[in-house]
Parts: sequence; C-alpha cells; structure tokens
Amino acid sequence: MMEKAKEKSEQNHKPKGTDEHVIVIKGLKKSFGEKHVLKDINLEVKRSENVVILGRSGTGKSVTIQCIVGLLKPDSGSLKVFGDEVADMSEKELKQLRIKIGFLFQSGALYDSMTIRENLEFPLTRILKIKEQAEIDKRVEAALDSVGLLDSIDKLPSDLSGGMRKRAGLARTIVVNPEIILYDEPTTGLDPITSREISELILSIQKKYNTTSIIITHDMECARLASDRVVVMDDGEYIAEGTFDSLHKSKNKIVAAFFKDIL
Amino acid sequence: MAEEMVIPAWKRWLEGIGDQVEFFFKFFRNIFTGGFEWSEFVRQCYEIGYRSMMLVGITSFIMGVVLILQLRPTLVSFGAASMLPKTLAVSFVREIGPVIIAIICAGKIASSIGAELGSMKVTEQLDAMEVSGANPLQYLVVTRILATTVMVPILSVIGDIIGLFGGFLALNLRDKMSYNLYFTKVVASIDFSDFLPAFIKTIFFGFAIGFVGCYKGFHSNKGTESVGLAANSAVVTASLWIFVIDAIAVQVTSLLFYK
Repeated sequence: MMEKAKEKSEQNHKPKGTDEHVIVIKGLKKSFGEKHVLKDINLEVKRSENVVILGRSGTGKSVTIQCIVGLLKPDSGSLKVFGDEVADMSEKELKQLRIKIGFLFQSGALYDSMTIRENLEFPLTRILKIKEQAEIDKRVEAALDSVGLLDSIDKLPSDLSGGMRKRAGLARTIVVNPEIILYDEPTTGLDPITSREISELILSIQKKYNTTSIIITHDMECARLASDRVVVMDDGEYIAEGTFDSLHKSKNKIVAAFFKDIL
Repeated sequence: MAEEMVIPAWKRWLEGIGDQVEFFFKFFRNIFTGGFEWSEFVRQCYEIGYRSMMLVGITSFIMGVVLILQLRPTLVSFGAASMLPKTLAVSFVREIGPVIIAIICAGKIASSIGAELGSMKVTEQLDAMEVSGANPLQYLVVTRILATTVMVPILSVIGDIIGLFGGFLALNLRDKMSYNLYFTKVVASIDFSDFLPAFIKTIFFGFAIGFVGCYKGFHSNKGTESVGLAANSAVVTASLWIFVIDAIAVQVTSLLFYK
C-alpha cells in the first residue's frame, strides 16, 4: 500500500518538461439522454504542453474538460489524469486531484459576494488549509501581480470589467499553483485587444508556472498565440490534430472553415 | 401518447423525492465532517436574522393591532372585553405569531436563498467551488440551513413580543388599560405548554425554510429563467411545508399537553 502510494507520488512529481503524458483519454463517450455529445474522444496531453481544442458550439469541448475534472462522469472509455482513472476515484481522491487542476470558467465564476482578495483567499484557506495570514497575503498578491490586478485587490467582482473578471478568475486559478489548467473559452465576449492580452497571459503563465493547459476556444488569435498543438473537434469526435501552422494548410472542410480568415 | 407523458412525470416526481432525501442526508453528513464555517454562519445569521427583523416587526405589530380590533366586538358582545389580552396572547403565541412570521420568512429568506444559490449555479460559481476542491455544501448549504434554524425561532419570539405590544396599543384606542395590567394579564395567560411547543415548531419552520431554499437553488437549471423559478418554487414549497409542519405540531401538542 505504502509502495503504491510512493510510486504514485513519484509519478506526480516527475521533472517538468518531460514527455510524460499527464492526461490520457481513450475512447471517451458521453451522452445526455438521446444526444451523444462525445462519441469517441482520444487525446494525450504531455506535461507543460498547451493544447487548444477548436470546434463549433455544442460539439462537446466543454463536456470533455468537465469529464477531466470529474464534474461529469463519462459513459464509457478511459480518462486518466496523472496515471489515475478519474471515474474510479473516491470523493477524497477526486478532491486531491482537483487541487492539482485549475479550471478557468467562461464567465470567470468569481464568488460575487466576496472581494477579489477573499476570492483568492478562499482556495488557500479551505483547500490548502494555509493558516498564516502573511503566507496567504504573499500568495494572493503574487497571483494578482501576475495578472496585473494588484490594484483591484479589494474590489468586488461587480466593479470589474469583463476582461478584469477573467484575469481575476485566472489569478484565483493559479494561486494554488495547479499543475494543469483547463481554460473554458477564456477570450469569449472580450474585445480583440483584451483577448490578445488574455492569450498572452495564458502563455506567460505556462512559462512562469510550467503548467499543462487545455484551452477551449473559438478565438483563432488565442489558438495561434497560446497553442503548442491544436485539436479540432466536430460532432463529438476529434477530426484533426497538429500545430497551428500545419492545420492552417488542412484540406478538411471544417478545419479550413476555422482558418479561412487567417492570413 | 398520454400514457407516455404520465410516466416521465411520476418518474420525475419520484426522482425529486429521492434527490431531496439525498440532499437531506448530505446536509447532515456535512455538518459533522470537515471544518465548520463559523464566519459564514455568523454572516448568514446577520443576513437572515437582523435584516429580516424590520419586516417581521412591522408585520407582527400590524397583526397584533388587527387581531385586537377584530376580536373586540365579539368579546364585548359577550361582556368579556377583559379577556382580550388573554385571547390575543394565547392565539398569538401558540399559533398566529409563529405561522405568520414563518410565512413572512419563507417569502423573504427562502426566496433569497433560492435566488442566490440559483444565480451562483447559473454563473458557474457552484461548479467553480466544486472543481477547486472546496465543498459548496459545507460552505453554502450547511451554514444557511443552520442559520435559518437558529434565527427563525428568535425572530418568532421577537415578533410575538412586538405583536403583543401592538395589541396593547390597539386596545387603548377604544378602551383604557394600563401597561402593567395588560402585560400582567398576558404573562399570566401564557403557560409553559403554550410557549414551548410553539417555540419548538418554529425550529422546524426555520429548518424547512433553509432546506427548501437551498435545495431549490442548488438544483435549479442553468438558465437565467431558472433563478426566478428557484426563488418562486422555494417560497411556495417552504410555505406549504410550514402548514404541514404546523398541522403535525398541533396534533402532537394536543396529545401531549391538552388531553
């Protein structure tokens, strides 16, 4: 039992930047009633890699990342994160896994009754159980500084613009130093300048914190800037995969439709 | 076709019952596991209790006034005007006060909890809490249900006192009765068996208000319309539960105290 735990711990703390796959999805299927949202998803994500998933609305992109974090249970197939099958995890194991995974929601999902400071303190005190206020302040300020929001630390989410809310959401995600970050349409609803800032922020966070990321987006500029690899999804399946530049030349109609306005 | 429509309806109803039972047990399990969120509990007590005090006070005062004005002609016709303080005290403390105050609380508190948690669900705040590894049940549900369970009985006692004071003022509009005489009659007419069962049932009213508000908000759908539906449904269901609990409480009290 101890050996198994030690082995697991060593697996989870391998040196970053290796070819180790931190997320492995094989034959993943998920239906809601008669609607088959995920038909056969296969994906492997290496440590420190930024993978962008492109696809039309309703093709199952968000469902895929919700399965990764255990918010939804797949009907069949295998989904392993850090080598462990997510569907087989107990509530306690799932909680431990979620500490290592950050999730940036489309809306930012900031707790609107709390200030930005309290939003960032929440995971530190409840999840990491940090007691020292000095340590909490240091982490909160460092995370907000990374996203350029230190000046808004005592504001309420309702006092922030859409872009600032996304940044604050990102700060709350990185404050616990996750190993994986899942971005659900991080630039949706933002102007092109703010979208670019967020995309650059995603890239800088990957470099600074050495995180592995899956980014769901329709924003081609975000995909171009932030991706190491792009996967295109349609009707619950992956139809193309490659670097942004290689997919740019694809003859596939759906892939070409995404890249048609890119010079 | 009609048969096809009926089956999902009762299935959904049964699923709803099952969900509520599961939610009930999850609530109890979460009281005793993990750390208790004291600061959030105190904040909720303030939001639920202190912020409802004005509404409860005004309503209770008016009820006290109205009851005296309604009771007076009947009692006067029987030559029993001196029974007014006793009649008001017994009816208010035993039944009218707790039920009216609980209904007011259902309208204000259950709807606000339902709408708050419903909007947190729509804006993915509940999911955010869950995927971060925190327990939304512990932070949001346990604190709110316990806060209503504690605060509704307190509001009820405060409402009873204000209602009886309203009755005193109404009585002095037509008749003259001193403050001392009125409250001596009131206190003398209220027995332990009048106050205790009424107080205990307000604990259950408070629990029902918090539980229904949290359940409806937590299980709302992910659309803006569902926030309104959660709030509305929370008020209706909590009000219904208050009358069901009251009916059961009256039966139990009758068996135990008024044989």
